[in-house]
Amino acid sequence: MSDVLVSARGLEVHFPVRSGGALRRTAGVLRAVDGVDLDIHRGETLGLVGESGCGKSTLGNALLRLVEPTGGRVTFDGTDVTGLGRRALRDLRRRAGMVFQDPFASLDPRRTVAQTVAEPLEVHGLRSGRRERAARVGELLELVGLDPAVAGRYPHEFSGGQRQRVGIARALAGEPDFLVCDEAIASLDVSVQAQVLNLLRRLQRKLGLTLLFISHDLSAVRHISDRIAVMYLGRVVEVGPASAVGAEPQMPYTQALLSAVPVPHPALERSRQRIVLRGDVPSPADVPSGCRFRTRCPHAFEPCPGVDPALQPVGAAPGHVAACHLHGVVGGPVEREGTVASAR
Amino acid sequence: MTVPAQKAPEAGAPASLRPARPRWRETLGLLVRNPTAAVAGLVLLAIVLVAVFDEALAPSGPNEIAVEDRLRPPSWAHPFGTDDLGRDILSRVVLGAAVSLRVGFLAVGIALVVGSVIGLLAGFYGRWVDDVLMRVMDVLFAFPAVLLAIAVLAVRGPGPGNTALAIGIVYVPIFARVTRASVLGVREEVYVRASRSVGASDWRLLTRHVLPNAAPPIIVQTSISLAFAVLAEAALSFLGLGTQPPDPSWGLMLAEGRGFIDLAWWLAFFPGMAIFVTVLCFNLLGDGLRDVLDPRQRTLMAGGGR
Repeated sequence: MSDVLVSARGLEVHFPVRSGGALRRTAGVLRAVDGVDLDIHRGETLGLVGESGCGKSTLGNALLRLVEPTGGRVTFDGTDVTGLGRRALRDLRRRAGMVFQDPFASLDPRRTVAQTVAEPLEVHGLRSGRRERAARVGELLELVGLDPAVAGRYPHEFSGGQRQRVGIARALAGEPDFLVCDEAIASLDVSVQAQVLNLLRRLQRKLGLTLLFISHDLSAVRHISDRIAVMYLGRVVEVGPASAVGAEPQMPYTQALLSAVPVPHPALERSRQRIVLRGDVPSPADVPSGCRFRTRCPHAFEPCPGVDPALQPVGAAPGHVAACHLHGVVGGPVEREGTVASAR
Repeated sequence: MTVPAQKAPEAGAPASLRPARPRWRETLGLLVRNPTAAVAGLVLLAIVLVAVFDEALAPSGPNEIAVEDRLRPPSWAHPFGTDDLGRDILSRVVLGAAVSLRVGFLAVGIALVVGSVIGLLAGFYGRWVDDVLMRVMDVLFAFPAVLLAIAVLAVRGPGPGNTALAIGIVYVPIFARVTRASVLGVREEVYVRASRSVGASDWRLLTRHVLPNAAPPIIVQTSISLAFAVLAEAALSFLGLGTQPPDPSWGLMLAEGRGFIDLAWWLAFFPGMAIFVTVLCFNLLGDGLRDVLDPRQRTLMAGGGR
């Protein structure tokens, strides 16, 4: 097999929007994820960026089938994940973990740290016997930089950063290959963010993990990622090596996104040119025709409303792709009433 | 809600992976530190002991009639007085404890088990499971409580067991609703999703995460319902459907004593006090339990607050 661990093809997660009232009629469709093609390579850290509500988290959840995809395919290590039975799904849950955003909400307040971290071990029958399990929990806590002596304590006795470490220890307990970090540092203090970020990077190297790092914090993503994928309104619009996407973004949306990051240098910061986008993000329940960014794009031209752009090679770096007609009109006219909206 | 995060007992913190003491012992220890709950628990324990050893404790037979001693006020011979047939009220209160408590526990036990399972499934699975189960509960709830109980007793005949069953059925929708409401909140918690993300089964999610976190309102409802069940037994006995005279139950005695209230207050007063004290203790113990079972409160309490 190739070095692709996780792969999405035409992945869709649509939520029915119900009108209020007793009949609960479906009034529309919210396209949280709408035709995403994405490959995540073994051992890499892929940063997934985009503004709030663009479907980043839903995509991360759909890859692990924590949210049921409504269309398209996800393969994990060569197997199609979308049709897995109960047992196979449980095995997937061992091999692919998740670190959640809010460490205050993601730990059961009524269970000790040891019980929380040991849960994957119990679920998958990984260490039989109390003693081995306790030893493993101690190992895991040490791995994430916590004193194993705290295992008997409850989550409320910890700070946010410590809790997030517990969450990471839980995610690592099943010795997964793949970890989705869903805004894992967003609700931490800035100083703690750096610690957790470095912890993740260290663990990734040490354990050979494949990481999907979902964040709206571009600096953090650039710091930790090998490659960066940019998402806009349910679609991945640009993917490439972190250095290339960071230095030479090819899609107008990515350019605007990057121009919003402050530069930690007074002179450079003063000369920084901001691209300020007009208007709001369109509702994912009412996606524009053609290129979904065209309503806010400063460069929009004739083909944009009619042709849904496909990802195409751009720039100088290999593996750098973007969905934008500025690099040549590629893609097909798309009626969004159909089920498959992705043009390959 | 917001508690100082690091107010853990620093000295002698257990270094093992398991809590140093078994959970139930820790719980008991903390419960004892809460004076109100401790007293309530002790009184309830005494009442239960009285109910268990009723025959041995009662000074005289509950149905021994002494016509010459009718309606005697409390005295050394009859501490709680005598009723209109000259029966010793203390003896009848002691024997009534067994009847009232048995009916109360049994009724609430039925309602708690059936109701919380229904509420748990309805709240957790939602959709049609929720619709079907809760509509059935609504139908059950739509009947006036006493009417429903009368219907059950009419079908199955009077007697303590059937009284408990009838009251239990009446209370099932209450527990179902309380549980469902609580579960609806808990099932959306991130830690439930987190647990699912590591592969936990529905059964595990329900028993290890959802139920424990949804429990506090159910505990409170249990203690309140125990109180109401004792009163409901009284009401049904009053209507002649619960305990059959001459057997004593607190509710029945209260009902019988009502007619003599301005003539001989002790007929209604002592069974009434028994109900009052029992109900109060159930409630206080329930509140104490709810606090003690919450790890956040637990740390505060163990840390020397209060």
